[in-house]
Amino acid sequence: MSVYRLLQTLAAVVAIIALPWLGGSYVDFILCTIAAYFIVALALNILVAQAGQVSIGHAAFWALGAYGSAILVTKVGFPFLLGVIAGGVIAGLFGLLVAIPALRVQGHYLAIATLAFALVIEQVLHEWEGLTGGRTGMFVPRPSFFGAELLADQYYYYVIVAVGALFAWAAHNLKRFPSGRALMALRLSPTAAQCCGISRSRSLITAFVLSAFLTGISGALYAHLVGYLSVSTFTLTASLSFLTMIVIGGLGRLSGAVLGAAFLALAPELMRDMGEAQMVVYGVILVVVMLTLPGGLASLPERVASLFARPQPRPVPAGTPAAGKEA
Amino acid sequence: MLIQVLVSGVAIGCIYALIALALVLVFKATDVVNFAQGEMAMVSAFAGLSLLTAGKLPLLAVLLLAFPIGALLGALTERIAIRPLLGAPPLNALIVTIGLWMIFHYGAGWIWGFDAFTFPSLLPQAPIEIAGALVSPSNLAIAGVSVLVLVGLYVFLEHTRQGTAMRAASMNPQAARLMGVSVGRVSLLSWAIAGGIGAVAGVLIAPLTFIDVNMMFLVLLKALAGAVLGGFTSLPGAVLGGVLVGVVESLTSVYVSSAFDDAIAFVVIVAVLMVRPEGLLGKPSVKKV
Repeated sequence: MSVYRLLQTLAAVVAIIALPWLGGSYVDFILCTIAAYFIVALALNILVAQAGQVSIGHAAFWALGAYGSAILVTKVGFPFLLGVIAGGVIAGLFGLLVAIPALRVQGHYLAIATLAFALVIEQVLHEWEGLTGGRTGMFVPRPSFFGAELLADQYYYYVIVAVGALFAWAAHNLKRFPSGRALMALRLSPTAAQCCGISRSRSLITAFVLSAFLTGISGALYAHLVGYLSVSTFTLTASLSFLTMIVIGGLGRLSGAVLGAAFLALAPELMRDMGEAQMVVYGVILVVVMLTLPGGLASLPERVASLFARPQPRPVPAGTPAAGKEA
Repeated sequence: MLIQVLVSGVAIGCIYALIALALVLVFKATDVVNFAQGEMAMVSAFAGLSLLTAGKLPLLAVLLLAFPIGALLGALTERIAIRPLLGAPPLNALIVTIGLWMIFHYGAGWIWGFDAFTFPSLLPQAPIEIAGALVSPSNLAIAGVSVLVLVGLYVFLEHTRQGTAMRAASMNPQAARLMGVSVGRVSLLSWAIAGGIGAVAGVLIAPLTFIDVNMMFLVLLKALAGAVLGGFTSLPGAVLGGVLVGVVESLTSVYVSSAFDDAIAFVVIVAVLMVRPEGLLGKPSVKKV
């Protein structure tokens, strides 16, 4: 099994490295987008799958990272890398702000609080024309390292993938650290966890700040990828798309994050020829996937395998809160 | 001036209250927060417009038909997309309603186009003077129809067999099922009634805002906020919350800033939730450790 696992990982790594050499610059751009979405999927999974909190305002953190980095690089003269990190830190600080209502309210109430936050950020970005360009938007320079500009998306792709891999590794290891285990315990039973001395407020603040930071980094990387920012990129629709992405891909799974990010970036491209029917078909796909694959696209191999296997008790879908795969 | 602002706030708040009521009804019966509720109302309003222009039906008949059209749409949606989800994680149901949102939104655009149409109003919108304040008759009509819907719903829930079954199923589905209540039928009924109420809200707001695919987007957000403000499981709470959101919004747009009125309504709601996390009329469910 471990040899099989090793081969699988090796094949995945080779595929990730080889991908940008297979298509033109347009394919490279899409690949970069997928990688950026992947980081958001990781970030949102920390909040939703590990902490059990729903956010319908993550586009705001994405926007804060994007605008933060873009403004610091163009107006203050930060170098690219520092700008990206600063973008993440700005988003993380706002994550701290959103965590405050999360300490009091939960569930739908928290979802409304994140929605309110996203609407306020969207409005402010729209109205503060001197800083963000408002309705007209703003241009963002290409990524550069130590003065050398990185022109092709083909190479930028590796930068985003490297950051994504680093975060994936960190997020995976979070489950082994006390703060990650605290989050898991809180999700499974808030009462029992708090009786064991786990601080709900500290864990939730950690989850929100981490999630916001990663989302901000992704937003900053994305800003330098597209080269132009407009408020219409960061609406409620984007927040909902992010939530959709992690559930359609498969909640709480690395493969789910990859598949969800690929779905979000590729589906509109593949359906471009459908014209007006495009978004209707997208909606139908969402409904059908959820009805037939409750565990998301990542559970497809298991579902196919279970069709051929002898009848046995169905495995708990990965999306259910009680599915403690780590146990 | 203040009275006029308040009256128009209450009128738009009634629309929010109706959609909030539909959201809470569906949530109580099926544990689903229906993001597509507003779009279902929009599709129903468009269907009404088609009956009016292509079907040559009188306006009053169209207004009366709104509820059955919306109810039919709600029932169909429940049978096709919601019933198979029974027992799935709530997040999956949420994604399904987001998918439904897209289907209805872009499907309506596909059928009726993305342009805005006018929808005739039964009563004039020009304000008349009542007791010293200028009030538009259509605003009064909105409030009146909303009260009628509320009374109808109240009578149905409290004084009919099916209504009692619905209340029982939302209190304790297990016990209700043991007593012979069909939980499936309760789910179907809730979606149908919610669809109908939404459709009424759709034709009420259509004369004020024009009718186009985006007409219900902000209405849904405000209704969601109203439902949360009221406690999300309380029907009177949903009505109270919806009306309050309408009033707060109309006060801020006149006295504070019209650029931020959408956001300010939400900030107020979050502030209220910080003080009362269970909403105005919700039952506290926070366990102290």
